[in-house]
Amino acid sequence: MLAFIRGRLLSGLLTIFGVVVLVFFLARLTGSPIDLFFPEGATQAQLESFSRAHGLDRPLLEQFWVFLSNAARGDFGMSIWQQRPALQAALSEMPATLMLTFLAMTVSVIIAVVLGTIAAAFRFRLVDRIITILTLATGSIPHFWFALVSILVFAIILRLVPTSGAGNWQSWILPVATVSLGPIGILTQVTRGAMIEVLSSGFVRNARARGFGSTRILYRHALRNAALPIIAVAGDIAAGMVNGAIIVSVVFAFPGIGKAIIGAVLARDFPVLQACIVVVGIAVVLLNLIIDLIYVVVDPRVRLS
Amino acid sequence: MNISAGLKALGLAALMSTAVAQTAMAEPTDRAITVALAVELDSLDACDTQPAQNANIARGNIYESLTHVSPVDGKVEPLLALSWEQIDDLTWEFKLRPDVKFHDGSSFTAEVAAANINRSQPGAMIEGQEIACLNLTQFPEAVKAEAVDELTLRVTTPKVDPILPLRLSYADIGNLATQQTAEKTTNPVGTGPYQFVERIQGQHVKLTRFDGYWGESPEVRDVTYVYRAEPSVRAGMIQTGEAQLATAISAQDATDDGRTVTYKDNRIVIARPNSFKEPFKDPRVRQAVSHAIDRETIVPALMGIGGNPWYQMLGPQVNGYIPGFDETEALRYDPEKAKELIAAAKADGAPVDQEFVLVTRPDLFPGSDEVVQAIAQGLQAVGLNPRILSLENTAWRVYLRQPFPEDQEGSIIMISHDNTSGDATFSFSGNYATCEGRNSATCNPEIDRLVFEADAAQGEERARLYQEAARIMYVEESTMIGIAEQVRLMMLGEGIEYEPNPLSGIEIRIADITFSD
Repeated sequence: MLAFIRGRLLSGLLTIFGVVVLVFFLARLTGSPIDLFFPEGATQAQLESFSRAHGLDRPLLEQFWVFLSNAARGDFGMSIWQQRPALQAALSEMPATLMLTFLAMTVSVIIAVVLGTIAAAFRFRLVDRIITILTLATGSIPHFWFALVSILVFAIILRLVPTSGAGNWQSWILPVATVSLGPIGILTQVTRGAMIEVLSSGFVRNARARGFGSTRILYRHALRNAALPIIAVAGDIAAGMVNGAIIVSVVFAFPGIGKAIIGAVLARDFPVLQACIVVVGIAVVLLNLIIDLIYVVVDPRVRLS
Repeated sequence: MNISAGLKALGLAALMSTAVAQTAMAEPTDRAITVALAVELDSLDACDTQPAQNANIARGNIYESLTHVSPVDGKVEPLLALSWEQIDDLTWEFKLRPDVKFHDGSSFTAEVAAANINRSQPGAMIEGQEIACLNLTQFPEAVKAEAVDELTLRVTTPKVDPILPLRLSYADIGNLATQQTAEKTTNPVGTGPYQFVERIQGQHVKLTRFDGYWGESPEVRDVTYVYRAEPSVRAGMIQTGEAQLATAISAQDATDDGRTVTYKDNRIVIARPNSFKEPFKDPRVRQAVSHAIDRETIVPALMGIGGNPWYQMLGPQVNGYIPGFDETEALRYDPEKAKELIAAAKADGAPVDQEFVLVTRPDLFPGSDEVVQAIAQGLQAVGLNPRILSLENTAWRVYLRQPFPEDQEGSIIMISHDNTSGDATFSFSGNYATCEGRNSATCNPEIDRLVFEADAAQGEERARLYQEAARIMYVEESTMIGIAEQVRLMMLGEGIEYEPNPLSGIEIRIADITFSD
């Protein structure tokens, strides 16, 4: 087990290193922050002065070496735009991202498992068709549109929740609902498919022959066996949420690492961008490791290797 | 307008009429407000207050400067300086306001003012570290400030500069401790009516009324600034009462209940052909561009209440604005004339068929994508060959700023330019008009001569020279083609009184906000 974890962490670190190297050079190909930093009338001398102050005038390889040696000590430099260390700028966004991911995945998995199981149990009947249509719709609705409409309906007209921000627990409702929308659709279909396959297998027929009730068969025998594909897809979706949830960040002004990455890209705030990539990379590696470990817990036939 | 909305409007009108009487005797209250802004600020340092996102919060609230531009007539007024005089061509002396305290209790003196001005100059260094202040673009060449006595400040300029008092309106004053380090402060201490409470990056900034303020105590006690990128969300926050003032409202979110107020801040949408590249080297092709754009149809149809047709690059409050130009001299919509000019240029060998890019940014101004498409259609209709190129900020600036890469294609770049200072030097000199100007795509020695002469002149002569230079730019050169004057929208919560002015785009003085209920 320990060897497996060690191996996974090592390969994860190598992946993160590769991504950071790519981001370091590709980001610098897209332009410099100097022009963005100064207002229209800035002179060449002023721009050069700023460039020197931030080490942007040095050769690219020298900048890379400075970055690597500092990053090895956990120093990602100071943000160009914010007066704080880049790592702090990245880490400060993570709690909200992780909490949003946790809440959205919890909501999505619960709703999807219930709906998917019902759809599978009543396969090709009216309830199955309704669930399929609804979940296809939730998977297809543009999140940006849903976010704006939900603000109009639930915040402005009904006044049930705040329009935006992250001030109190009510302000989490619309962002969580928006982020959950797509995963509910996808996971419901995955659950339905997996359950249909399991329900037609021999051990379920055996269980029925032995007189077990439908509910017990569904939730105790079938669902446990259908869990692996659900966990696999849910894990991928959760990794995507850690990376993104950008629309929620923009529309609801909700904190998150996705917003920080986009902001850093647009502002060419290279230190923050690099710190965010490393932080997200570590989070995704850990998340994947946790998912692998959950596999073993759920299905003892899976062996770590 | 339905009956309910009508009654609301009547009620609001009644409230406003009583508010006028109340404003004069406005008393400090315990009330708090929330302001919804579009963009988060970058810096709270006193030397970074030029960009609007920083100025919106810090200028006039946390910080004050020695002088101030009147939003009414654009004249330079005393603020932390009571008076000033020019001792000789290069030296100015300022008498400072006595008994002014910073939020930390320290005194405002000439020594502190000098430290602030010197720190925000080009090339300023502290402890061997260079400072990149954003306000330094107001000082093309470094000035030197020194304290003569506790309340007398002397400023020396490297060359004659008649508008030094105006330039100093951009030099906000922070306490001495923040001026003795090259680090940008995250805990701003100024002399303004509001003191800093906290900033949670990405979330909010909070200020509270400063009880030791030297001026009249404002009515609003606490203010929280939040950032909402989506205009409809900002408007929604006003409707739900989550915010009491929201900026940068789009025309489709505007309400007709009196809560949406408009203002102009001398911000103009401009099309700038690059005269250094084909097909725009021939001035007749550039003049044809101006004749090909039907501003009177495009702007009302696509910008609604957010814009007015415009033919110059400056607003009416800037001294380089030419009164009456639009009706008499402007190169107005005339497609036949445009075709004639293009044909004449073609006969002389100009490659008028050559494709060029019409460069824009999606966030340039509300509805910019549609306006640019309409402009492109107008250009195609007279025989030009534009291709729309919508870029994000950094890539867009490659087409804006000199030096232009050798292999860059011909371009017309769309610009949204503002000048809140009232003086054309900030738009022309070293910027859009002169040969060496950072954002200039033209070089005409006569324009340079007029602009540099204007820079050293004062009053009406200064304005006349700038207007002469502008006339050449708009008519003979046709390198700065005015398209629309932007009208900005702001939304106020119920019971909030605030009259926006031409400076409101960069400076929202919370002290100017009163309650009507």
